[in-house]
Amino acid sequence: MQKILIIEDDQSIAKELKELLDTSGYESIILEEVSNVLEKILHTDANLILLDINLPEMNGELLLKEFRKHSNLPVIMVTSRNSETDEVLSMSYGADDYITKPYNPTILLLRIANLLKRASEKGENYKYKDLTISPEKGLLSNGTSEILLTKNEMIIFSYLLLHPNRIVTRDELMTTLWNNNEYINDNALTVNISRLRAKLKEIGHEEAIETRKNQGYILL
Amino acid sequence: MKLKEYLKTKWLLILLFHLMILLLILLQLALKAPIELIIASSFIIFCFSFIFFLYDYLPKHFFYQTFLSQLEKLDQKYLVTETIKTPNFYEGKILVDALYEINKSMLERIQTSESNMLDFKEYIELWIHEVKLPLATLTLMVHNNKSHYDNKVKEQLKRLDNYLEQVLYYVRSENAEVDYLIKNCSLKKIISNVALKNKDSLLEQKIELIVSDIDHFILTDSKWLEFILNQIIDNSMKYKKKENAYIKIASKEDEDNIYLIIYDNGIGISKADLPRVFEKSFTGKNGRSGTKSTGMGLYIVKKLCRKLGHKIEIKSEEGKCTVVTLTFAKDRYYDVLK
Repeated sequence: MQKILIIEDDQSIAKELKELLDTSGYESIILEEVSNVLEKILHTDANLILLDINLPEMNGELLLKEFRKHSNLPVIMVTSRNSETDEVLSMSYGADDYITKPYNPTILLLRIANLLKRASEKGENYKYKDLTISPEKGLLSNGTSEILLTKNEMIIFSYLLLHPNRIVTRDELMTTLWNNNEYINDNALTVNISRLRAKLKEIGHEEAIETRKNQGYILL
Repeated sequence: MKLKEYLKTKWLLILLFHLMILLLILLQLALKAPIELIIASSFIIFCFSFIFFLYDYLPKHFFYQTFLSQLEKLDQKYLVTETIKTPNFYEGKILVDALYEINKSMLERIQTSESNMLDFKEYIELWIHEVKLPLATLTLMVHNNKSHYDNKVKEQLKRLDNYLEQVLYYVRSENAEVDYLIKNCSLKKIISNVALKNKDSLLEQKIELIVSDIDHFILTDSKWLEFILNQIIDNSMKYKKKENAYIKIASKEDEDNIYLIIYDNGIGISKADLPRVFEKSFTGKNGRSGTKSTGMGLYIVKKLCRKLGHKIEIKSEEGKCTVVTLTFAKDRYYDVLK
């Protein structure tokens, strides 16, 4: 399980954030004491850090700058300061992403998933059972036959694939699609999923995507 | 300083002077003084008087002439005290000293109120960032306890966030100093952020979002532009048609500019209201009926556009559509640098 370290001085946000991450298939740790942060985060075993800019003792940007001298761990800056200057500064100090409060929780999860994927896989093709998936080409193949997915179908399938063994909500799928500039509505999502199912059936995986009523979908 | 006007103000003096000469001549005639003496003395008095007059008039004339022409030329009139020399006549000295004092005290006043404004602005910015923390907590709470809250709560939180942003950008737009950063931004990315922010409301209200041809890069501050687009989309959602509502976003370019066009098939704006939509606190027919409106959204949008150097235009056909066009200038210099 991937570990995420939360550095946030507002206790209520930190608590809710932990709950969000814990229920989304991550293990999260809140850095309890915000003093001497640098020492602590250099010795963390987390895979990703969520860092607030406004820390009581040290500015998050400066902390990040120091941290980057020693470590390449993915860092997402989380802040209520909504200005281009802050973002540019954070990115130039080596942040991997920058999100402003109040953020859409699904989007935060999406960004986290993307970063972790980038950190671990580095462009490998994914696999699902006997299927090889090449997202760039939009291709599924099982060695003997191939099938072409549309962009939307591929986005949905990849997302399901990245979140195995748990229910993926329609809202998550919708957010992922919108995040990829596909601004579709509810009906279109339903259509896309049934088309994806039909294509998977064609290639021998009829029961791959299961519907959980009022909850979402799960990839078996 | 005009001679005529000057003489007018001195009419009593001139009258007395003539009276004096007349009395002197009469006195000399009564005393049977020789005629030569009368003419000579009159001439001397007249000559000296003329010299006195010139001595009084000329410095004043030159001083006020430069003073007025400087005042005319200056854009910031209060700077006139810096451009003139202290004259050598008494009233002029008084005037210049007084102006200087007045200026000084006025500048002090302005400085105090400017620093008060700045304090207030900083406080508001800080306050908004503070308020966003509980808002963020609430958003997370709603997400974490979906069974307890429905989408209406989310919707209200979004409204709250929207109003907060409005205050923040109002403060930013009112202040003279620059706190934006122009860089080359992907229009696609900006639209995507705005779309994601409004995703729930758009889906909830069954408004179709149709985005095409937006692979352009523009010079702007992405955060400011996101706010601007957010306000425009927000208006489109507020004043939508009941059935089959949609918002189309597209961009195109020509030699000099890149255009972003946001088209909605909403209720539109009446002809009478259209020229006034960018005015402060203007709500119009749409704003007064149905959805509440503060009349600040588009006012702030216009101000931000002006600061960023973008052009914004709204066209509308009542009952049919509203089209907002944003124009971004291309910067050749930037291309050369690349």
